[in-house]
Amino acid sequence: MGRHVTVSGVHLEIEEKGQGRPILFLHPGEGLQAGRAWFDRLADNHRVIAPHHPGFGGSVLPDWMGTVDDLAYLYLDLAAELKLDNAVLAGACFGGWVAAEMAVRNTNRFAGLLLTAPFGIKVGGVLDRDIIDMHAISRAEFMRRAWADPTKGEIDYTRLADTELAGIARGRETLAVFGWKPYMHNPRLKRWLHRIDIPTHLIWGEQDGIVSTAYGEAWKSDIPNATMETIPNAGHYPHWEQPDGFASRTLAFTARL
Amino acid sequence: MRTWYFSEMAYHPAWDRGLARGSLRVNFPSENLDPVEAGTLLNRYLDEFALCDEVGLDIMVNEHHSTATCMTVSVPMALSIIARETKKARLLSLGNPIANRPDPVRVAEEMAWLDCLSGGRIEMGLVKGAPYEIAPANSNPGRLMRRYWEAHDLIIKALSTTTGPFSWEGEFFQYRAVNIWPRPIQQPTPPIWMTGMSVETGTLAAERGHVVGTLLSGGLAKPMFQAYRKRARELGWEAGPDRMAYAAIIGVGNTREEGLRRADTIADYVRTAPVVFEPFTNPPGYNSVGANVAMLKAGPRAHRMVTDRNGVPIDHRTATVQQFMDTETVFAGTPDDVFNQLKAFNERMGGVGHLLFFGQGGQMNHQDAKANISLFGKEVAPRLLELGMPEQVAAE
Repeated sequence: MGRHVTVSGVHLEIEEKGQGRPILFLHPGEGLQAGRAWFDRLADNHRVIAPHHPGFGGSVLPDWMGTVDDLAYLYLDLAAELKLDNAVLAGACFGGWVAAEMAVRNTNRFAGLLLTAPFGIKVGGVLDRDIIDMHAISRAEFMRRAWADPTKGEIDYTRLADTELAGIARGRETLAVFGWKPYMHNPRLKRWLHRIDIPTHLIWGEQDGIVSTAYGEAWKSDIPNATMETIPNAGHYPHWEQPDGFASRTLAFTARL
Repeated sequence: MRTWYFSEMAYHPAWDRGLARGSLRVNFPSENLDPVEAGTLLNRYLDEFALCDEVGLDIMVNEHHSTATCMTVSVPMALSIIARETKKARLLSLGNPIANRPDPVRVAEEMAWLDCLSGGRIEMGLVKGAPYEIAPANSNPGRLMRRYWEAHDLIIKALSTTTGPFSWEGEFFQYRAVNIWPRPIQQPTPPIWMTGMSVETGTLAAERGHVVGTLLSGGLAKPMFQAYRKRARELGWEAGPDRMAYAAIIGVGNTREEGLRRADTIADYVRTAPVVFEPFTNPPGYNSVGANVAMLKAGPRAHRMVTDRNGVPIDHRTATVQQFMDTETVFAGTPDDVFNQLKAFNERMGGVGHLLFFGQGGQMNHQDAKANISLFGKEVAPRLLELGMPEQVAAE
């Protein structure tokens, strides 16, 4: 259980651990999952600040909130509230989209941007799907696409407590509220990526079957001076699937800021 | 109890291929449909609707999308043909899936137009729509019911406003000049219906005085009707049977065997219709958090069942006619059998004023379909009209 703060009238649950340069970490559509090893590995060298998005975990989605713009402004307000300075803004999957929307608006409190297999931009033509329709495939296919080794991602929901299951169900609805249409992207975001004026690094799992490395290359080419590297034996959630490899690459990036 | 005949105008020739693929909806490609055969079937189904007017039945039309189970893609389109082919039948749209419609004012216009065309015979269902309708409409399942209620309020305001234009700046819909022409004959609006399967829907419908309908499960219908009556009483009025509707398959014949055989043929619809690729059955937000918790706990292979009158779970995909009769999904037999079954059902439910008579699933040939409609219209429906509030409930 994290601590609870209210930012811009929004009640947020935040997980926080570690010392060092702060990382504001924005989680994927599948939730924060701070119980996995990635959180401790990152906290070995950083002060990791990871809010549950409104609607996920113990964070409350207010009725008035419903776009990724809202989340971007909310987390910029959170960064100000926490007086973050020279921090790293990090986001994975859906959280990567939110981080990018923040970075095109205001990077004053951040020294670098770390995007892990982000959603958020439209690259191909009208008949091309840049982002797999996760809501039109079976759960089994989703797991095969999202994980290099799907057994690492399996969760036995029948063993979870009702409160945890309720959080998962609310999180799934919340992801739909924010990302259903257009599906997991903002058609105009790509046009504004040039505004990102801090060092940006992209991390991609080599077996990511949700968004391809070619999609990552499109991000890289539109963000000035962005760099990109891939992690072997990892799917769409490299921080969950290869926590050591993810933490060492994160440290290498933050060390050069 | 009034009777409203309906059929989904199914494209049954493709069902076997859909069943083999494990999905008849959304991701079942239309190369499995022969459009010329579709046209023949549509004309036949419309003839069956037209016959209802001759035998004194009212008519209901619904719609679904991207499916071999229902070719009606637009309720108003079908009703406009039926309105011209009928003289007396009331015409129920059940309905417009208004949370999936981008333009609620268009819905109001179409209903008003139909009300004028039909001489004020329209009844207007405003429905949430089934979960697998989300993908074809690409409607956001998150906050679906908030969008539903805003569309509902806007449609009613558009139909009942005669001094427009008015503007609407809502969360989901924005208009600057709403002023529909023509306006409906029935003022302030045609009678409004909702559908659902929960106690919550019963309560919400009671708060607005709408008719509430459900389908194919007496076990789910009864608590919803009870919730409706309770809420109405709290609000100071008595909800009679005319506020409750129930859809069931009905096979009637000159012999019991003939009635059962017809019901069995129609029931193939219910055995087929739930077969949908899993991701489309529960889009996130469509069902409540509580319902989703229950589904996660039940595990991925659990299939939702209905229960019969004794609490025994029944799988609609494989049920026999007798099992369907035990879940009150089917009423079947001779006219006397069916009347007695419905009379008992009316008592168990505490008074149901509207029977939605599912009389053609697709597989039934035209002769049987016409015979089923005619026999029901002549021998059963007039007797049902005399059924009212059961004494026991009236005394509660």
